[in-house]
Amino acid sequence: METVLKVEKLRKSFKGREILRDISFEVRKGEIMAILGPNGAGKSTTIRNIMGIMYPDAGSIQFQGYKDIPRNKIGYLPEERGLYKNVNIMDILLYLAELKDYPLKKARERALVYLKKFDLEGKDKVSVEELSKGMGQKVQFIASILHEPELLILDEPFSGLDPVSQELFKQEMRSLAAGGTAILLSSHQMNLVEEMCDRLFMIHHGQKVIYGNLDDVKREYANFKCTIRGENNLNVLQGLPEVQRVEQKEDTSILYLSKDVQIASWLKNLPDQIDINELSIDRISLHEIFIDIATDRNLLKEEGVVHG
Amino acid sequence: MGNAFKVAKWEFKRNMKNKSFLIGLFLTPILMLGFMILSSLIGDSDNQAKNKTRVFIQDNLGVFNTIQETAKFHQFNWEIHKTEISEKEAMEQLKTVENTAYIFLNQGAINTGIIPVYSSEEINSSFMDQEVQFLIGPIKTLQLKQLGLTGEQLAAVSKDLVFKEANGATSEEPVDLGDAGKDMMKSIVPGAFAGIILLSIIFSGMYIFTSASQEKKDKVAEIILSSVTPGELMQGKIIGYFMLGMVQAVVFLGFGIPIATWKFDIPVFEYLFVPELILYVALAILGYLLYAALFVGVGATMSDMTTAGNFQGMVMMLPFLPFVFIGPVIADPGGLFAQIGTYIPFSAPGVLLLRLTMLEEWPWIEILIALALLLVSVWLFMKLAGKIFKVGILMYGKNATPQEIWKWIRA
Repeated sequence: METVLKVEKLRKSFKGREILRDISFEVRKGEIMAILGPNGAGKSTTIRNIMGIMYPDAGSIQFQGYKDIPRNKIGYLPEERGLYKNVNIMDILLYLAELKDYPLKKARERALVYLKKFDLEGKDKVSVEELSKGMGQKVQFIASILHEPELLILDEPFSGLDPVSQELFKQEMRSLAAGGTAILLSSHQMNLVEEMCDRLFMIHHGQKVIYGNLDDVKREYANFKCTIRGENNLNVLQGLPEVQRVEQKEDTSILYLSKDVQIASWLKNLPDQIDINELSIDRISLHEIFIDIATDRNLLKEEGVVHG
Repeated sequence: MGNAFKVAKWEFKRNMKNKSFLIGLFLTPILMLGFMILSSLIGDSDNQAKNKTRVFIQDNLGVFNTIQETAKFHQFNWEIHKTEISEKEAMEQLKTVENTAYIFLNQGAINTGIIPVYSSEEINSSFMDQEVQFLIGPIKTLQLKQLGLTGEQLAAVSKDLVFKEANGATSEEPVDLGDAGKDMMKSIVPGAFAGIILLSIIFSGMYIFTSASQEKKDKVAEIILSSVTPGELMQGKIIGYFMLGMVQAVVFLGFGIPIATWKFDIPVFEYLFVPELILYVALAILGYLLYAALFVGVGATMSDMTTAGNFQGMVMMLPFLPFVFIGPVIADPGGLFAQIGTYIPFSAPGVLLLRLTMLEEWPWIEILIALALLLVSVWLFMKLAGKIFKVGILMYGKNATPQEIWKWIRA
């Protein structure tokens, strides 16, 4: 698929400390690409460099093959966001569209459609300061997509949103992607990302940790784990086949299984003496991978799973 | 530049729709006007209540009415009463009162040529020196009448004699005087006009400061900067608030010109559109640009008006620098202090405006040097402000220290 944004070997230092080290990724037309990482990992810095709000020390950023980033083709919802207080919603939406050189008449029509879509119908003349935080965020989201951008960059779009609004945002992002918009999404809410994105880029301490297709990543990193409730001897559990590691807390044991395990046969071969009150098999979630990386435990790395 | 104008238009529209700005727009001139009227009212009533001199006249000559008319004619602030008390009694009375005088007009006084006046310790300073002396005229007339002069003789004698040089040059003198007065107004009117423009755009320049730090507080800067460059945003703000300042100036003048025309009875428009005005307005605009650059830069370093540090506070005081020079410049428009004020870019517009309206001969060399200095510093401060603005506007939640600002400037 057509590459819309290409970031290559981005480097940036602040006060002698390297914030970004050789960050490279692409965002393609019609896909949702997620940048994941704990706070301070360098997500927002990467995005600000793409937006030309900061300049990288080294590396290149290309938009559709050009080094000049056409700002009017990009929609941007920054992490640090807000709106002018004492103006009405339609005015600020039209102003932001005007700054993107978008025709005003069309902007007004689209704004009304979107306000309706986001349950803000009839609020176009309401002053921004009367909006709740969530409503403000919806207006900011509308502002970032009003001018039909080819690339949409959303920095933590879900923070502070209630589940209903989150759903609205997700729907809209999906339909935009289906319509061909390339979306770059940054977040630390793994569950949301997991169900949204096509590809992901996980960053920690300014470096790439994981980069790839969501399904591939899951297949590669998200091994099965088996959670057993019951009183069991740690040594017995560790002695089971295909078990890489066991975490035990009171009467709950989590068995991390190796990548190539055949779950059905593995279950069949469980010894009879194991005390099972409850048993569940599921994959390690992105969330766990994320926490694992963020807390620098690097347990997955020990087992040689993470390809640097 | 197109984006800068979009930003300017927005800032303009946003403020023009803002109630508090609109109220301020009209309230400032109304308040100033109100204070002017109020102070003149207070001043007037003060004069009348306190300084009215009570004049008691013991009139044995029958000139009381004439004196009353004389006092009225010269608009003395007198309250005239007839009295029959003796000189001794009068002296007693005066010990307890203020602003009071007793005049004894009797034949003895006419004969000796000395009219006794007893006054209280506190009395209007001009009373003895000037006002009473005007009474000599009517009394003299009476004296002459008593000597039996005819009406014709009387008229001839009582006519004042004046020495007057009889050559061409002096005959023009009164006309010259009038011209000088007019010239004064002629130079003051454009100067005052430019002064009002300078003042209003500096006031609106202060709004830039709030606007820049508000941009940070509302966290809207990053959204805007995804569409425009920091430079364009800064220019847009400076242009937008310049237009707002012009609106403020127009409102000011809308109040000021009718009042000036009515109160001082001068053809304002005739005096206004003179070549000097171009220089004055140029000075005002340069002054604005300098302050605007300063404010927009400093505003971007602050997260909040209320947490302004010492450094920022000092910068905010700079526009008031010209006021330091007002006294010395009025005392001596060509003097040392006036020159110093002219060469400091921050006080130059104000000081030069004041000097040029007062000086008859313009010190062209000084003006040119000052203009050059001003231009250079406008350019320099715009550059610096641009650098500070670029980094500062995205720094959320804290004020920048002078050290940090220095680093941004050097970057």
